[in-house]
Amino acid sequence: MNSDRDEIERLIAQVAMGDRAAFEALYDRVSAKLFGVSLRVLETRAAAEDAMQDTFVKIWNNADRYQANGLSPMTWLITIARNTAIDRLRARRKGQQDIDTPGLELAAPGPSPEQSAVASSEAAKLTGCLDQLEADRGAAVRGAYLDGDSYADLAARFNVPLNTMRTWLRRGLLSLRECMSL
Amino acid sequence: MSDHPTIPPEDDDMLAAEVALGLTEGDERAAARTRMLQDRSFARRVADWQERFAPMAEDIAPVSPPKGARKALMSRLFPARRVPLMQRLWVWQGISFAALATVAFLALPLLQDPGEQAPDDVYAARMVAEDSALELLAVMDMARGDIALRRVSGTAPEGRVLELWAILPDRAPISLGVLPEGDVNRVALPADLAPEAAQITLAITDEPPGGAPGGVPTGAVMAAGAVAEL
Repeated sequence: MNSDRDEIERLIAQVAMGDRAAFEALYDRVSAKLFGVSLRVLETRAAAEDAMQDTFVKIWNNADRYQANGLSPMTWLITIARNTAIDRLRARRKGQQDIDTPGLELAAPGPSPEQSAVASSEAAKLTGCLDQLEADRGAAVRGAYLDGDSYADLAARFNVPLNTMRTWLRRGLLSLRECMSL
Repeated sequence: MSDHPTIPPEDDDMLAAEVALGLTEGDERAAARTRMLQDRSFARRVADWQERFAPMAEDIAPVSPPKGARKALMSRLFPARRVPLMQRLWVWQGISFAALATVAFLALPLLQDPGEQAPDDVYAARMVAEDSALELLAVMDMARGDIALRRVSGTAPEGRVLELWAILPDRAPISLGVLPEGDVNRVALPADLAPEAAQITLAITDEPPGGAPGGVPTGAVMAAGAVAEL
């Protein structure tokens, strides 16, 4: 798993230098995962393919910023794929073209030492923590992450006022953070 | 309940989580994004949340993307023009450093061609001959259908003119015309030669004023060179 991480990190570093071969290697390595994420969010293959293409364009254009953002490589890639797909999904819902919001919402805070959490154990942990939340809150967090639900969407879904939704979800996030820090 | 609840600073981390999830919209979202660019500790918080949330994607099974996706992506990022002409000129073998500068100069109009259409088929030749001071560089641009020539050194013998020929295997030399005075010229390349462009050897003979009588070279070959694809 770690060598996998190192390899992907190395490829991203090479892509940052404009290395096309490394970019193609990175594509071969992670495209199925990123396509899976896009497909999960957007549900149709055509839309998912478009989103995945945008994702890789962003990866190519922003690889030089990867080092500075302190995310593990798969998180970085997945976050770009997820955000790109969510942006598309929202634009589709609104029927408007708000797709190309530049910037990957991945600013550059600098690497942090506690970065190297092993991904799969984190996944288990998150799942466990989400499950510990009241069912609705866990569902709301998942809905926001994977279905791109905004507060407004969630408020409508759970039939509560928006601010109630916000207070309620924030409590969930707080518990989530505590749970995950254990 | 107010529409704009005031958010105490200690709630920054919650705001960061909301940004990472994309829960906020409109002005609030824009403000948060701007803040990420300016406030490193806030950006750090958002990144930490992204790291916390990303495992949700762990459970998503990989799906092989459609076959054409890879090619579509690559051609979007790296459009057809495989290698810029300038770069092709640099790697072209058999040409001296100084000569290169003149070829590059010659090729300038190609480089400045408007639009994106790549000078896909470009050939170049360095034309020299023993016992002759004449040296020319040629760039054959198939998109334009012409040959740009630059004289590096040498002149036509007194009272003679220089005539350019295309030499192809199994064919008589084809006259491309008498070169006008001047160091830089462009001559048209007959369209029917295009398919065999890669095999052309360009040659220059000295001929009587007005050019070779009967379209057959009569003078000495003063410079010649096979074209190479750039």
